[in-house]
Amino acid sequence: MRIDLLMDYWPAIWNGFLITVLLSFVVLALSTPIAFFLALARQSQFAMLRWPATVYVNVFRALPVLIVLYFAFYALPQFGMSLSAFQAATAGLVIASSAYLAEDIRAGLAAVDPGQRQAATALGIPYWRALRRIYLPQAIPISLPPYITRAIIIVKGTALASLVAVNDLTAEAVRAISITYRPYEFLAVAAALYLLINALLAVLQSLAERRIALKHGRVVAGPATVVQ
Amino acid sequence: MNLDFGIIAVVWPALLQGSLVTIQLTLAVLVCATPLAVLVALGRDSRLPAVRLPLAVMSAILRGIPPLLVLFIVFFGLPPAGLALDPFPSAVLAMTCYMAFYFGEVFRGGLQSVPPDQWRAADALGLKRSRTVVRIILPQTLPAVLPPYISHATEVLKGTALATAVAVPELTSAARQVFVVTFRPFEVLMVAAVIYAVLDGILLALQHAGERWAARTGTSTRY
Repeated sequence: MRIDLLMDYWPAIWNGFLITVLLSFVVLALSTPIAFFLALARQSQFAMLRWPATVYVNVFRALPVLIVLYFAFYALPQFGMSLSAFQAATAGLVIASSAYLAEDIRAGLAAVDPGQRQAATALGIPYWRALRRIYLPQAIPISLPPYITRAIIIVKGTALASLVAVNDLTAEAVRAISITYRPYEFLAVAAALYLLINALLAVLQSLAERRIALKHGRVVAGPATVVQ
Repeated sequence: MNLDFGIIAVVWPALLQGSLVTIQLTLAVLVCATPLAVLVALGRDSRLPAVRLPLAVMSAILRGIPPLLVLFIVFFGLPPAGLALDPFPSAVLAMTCYMAFYFGEVFRGGLQSVPPDQWRAADALGLKRSRTVVRIILPQTLPAVLPPYISHATEVLKGTALATAVAVPELTSAARQVFVVTFRPFEVLMVAAVIYAVLDGILLALQHAGERWAARTGTSTRY
């Protein structure tokens, strides 16, 4: 173990870590609302909304995320759109992630009893208000655990950005290894930092679950935890 | 912007070669990871802490860090330890390491779906533990395990694209090598995407067949 080498390259590794965190945050912040509207569109009664959303979700879940990143990074300039490496990685990851997240959100919406929907319509409650006041409060607790699981997969997926010239944590670790020929130090540090991000997300999940349970007093996260 | 799909007539042999490597890599990982995953699933619920705890730690680490990083750990980490592998075996080894634990969770769910009475009954009849697992328990987990197993197999297929980072000449890397020469990334990537979608579709068809089978078998063996 060469702690001194680790110290020499620490600024670069820390920079890569910050880029990984920023990329994860931007990708999640952008793909969550897109996924939400995709999930709603997939449930729509209008075929014009339902079909494109269904095709989008199924196509991008069938492709390797790396292929989508290559499209954003290498193929967009062919159409006169030159993005920076970070922008291209963000675009590619948002396109792929929103397709996966849409399925998790849709599962939550689909789990709401259809009778609720019919009752809201019968009472003349407008769609958006019914969504906000009736469906979502019931769907969010169901969608949350798979959402966080997916968020962790998305954070791990940001490592792919290192293959399209983004200097994220993985890229900086690989660069340090190829200069110093000391793989173990840098691989261990990179792994530890990814585990740290995921641990934070897991903490966030249990906090959110507790808060939802307190607010709504219903079964969350398995049959054993009824909180009133 | 003018697209020229005529380029495909020239470059298809390279893409076909890449597709074959992708298929080989997928199959190799499935063949290696599946039996290991059964052992992982059994070991994760073992009564012995010496078996259970290391596996729990390895599971948390290998499923918590990016798959790409696991590839780099094998690719950069093994040669200094005196084990220099070619790109293909090192990709198989890395993907097997983490997929054994992802599949392990699938099989663990399947094992938990078998009523514990089955273990006790086999024990009471004096069956050896290995025989109990192979003849009694595992066959009963199949209906519960098959659908998620195949959906994870599509993750293996899509995950093989990562092997491009450690110089395995699979489909994504073949596509990249072709389009950096021809300057036609969109056309080449479209063809690669279609090939991935077709391979994915085959697995999906298998999954549907498996689900129908599981639905039939699942109801006939329940009592």
